[in-house]
Amino acid sequence: MTHESAPQADGPHELLAVVRDLTHQVRVAQRGTWFPLLVFAVITLVAIPVYRYAPYLDLFDTCRSRPQHTVCMAPNPTQLGYWTVALVLAYAAIAGFYVRQSRRRGVGTPIRPYVVVGVALAVLMAAVSIWLTFHPLIPVPADPFSTDPVEIEVGPAAWLVNGLASPIAVIALALLVLARVERNWALLAYSLVYLAIVMVQGGQVIHSTSPWFFLPYLLVPAALLLLGSAAFALIRPTTEVPGR
Amino acid sequence: MINHPTNGLDDVVHQRVRLGILAIAHQARQVEFGFLRTTLQLTSGNLGQHLTVLEKAELIQIEKGYEGKRPRTWVTLTAAGRAALRDEIAHLKQLIHQVEQAETAPTADQ
Repeated sequence: MTHESAPQADGPHELLAVVRDLTHQVRVAQRGTWFPLLVFAVITLVAIPVYRYAPYLDLFDTCRSRPQHTVCMAPNPTQLGYWTVALVLAYAAIAGFYVRQSRRRGVGTPIRPYVVVGVALAVLMAAVSIWLTFHPLIPVPADPFSTDPVEIEVGPAAWLVNGLASPIAVIALALLVLARVERNWALLAYSLVYLAIVMVQGGQVIHSTSPWFFLPYLLVPAALLLLGSAAFALIRPTTEVPGR
Repeated sequence: MINHPTNGLDDVVHQRVRLGILAIAHQARQVEFGFLRTTLQLTSGNLGQHLTVLEKAELIQIEKGYEGKRPRTWVTLTAAGRAALRDEIAHLKQLIHQVEQAETAPTADQ
């Protein structure tokens, strides 16, 4: 049997074709795309009870009170704490997964840039979120107790900075780095579509008095991540290195 | 003297299997003996011989160890190996370019 990557003639065309084919085989063996997507889907779903039930910690003194009425002008810092810790733990788990996969398949993976960028983006997200608490880009109503609906005009710069403060968007930005690391066009396309959907969705204001009003913000990205994980799992290589 | 691209070809690298080993090790950073054997479809003895040639030329480093009870041999490309692979690919591309130019150039008897 003659393998595609091992033509018998050693002409320059054939040798270059061998290099290209082998490089592609290694890249495919290095991929483990389904796992990061699954981890991010899980932490997005776990965020639901945190958003709903975590008590508001007024760390940044943004709450104003009247008798039987308190209004807080910034998201719950508990949510920010959750996302920062969850993202860092997720990247630790992803790094561990790729190292184990490397040993099992017998090929190293240059996963470090993805993990470093992911953790850096998580820290940047936390810093930008805290900065936005004190320097809001969206105009704050003079009377925090007013119940009149406010029309909000958001410029591109505010949209971008708010995106950096969004854990869901930060996950997508890091996935672009993973697509580069894995030389994975399918993941690049998936990440761009995912990023576009979550950025558009993040710009939508949900007017609701329900304590579950935030659900679409978390369920949509979680569903996209789960679907992506399942799709990439179906096409993943299962080769394990045989013993010597 | 005419500097033909074939003059720059290194006999150690200009060989299908050894070029393949270097290409895999370059992409993988570190690659296991079993992966090389399966991917290149070689016997252990044949692969071992090619690895010895590359190791003697200081183009790869070989580390032996155990993972649990299973012996493992890991191959890493050296800086010289990376340079040799880069040069070989450049020479191959140059060769193809020259052949294509020769084929398209008008001949004297036309």
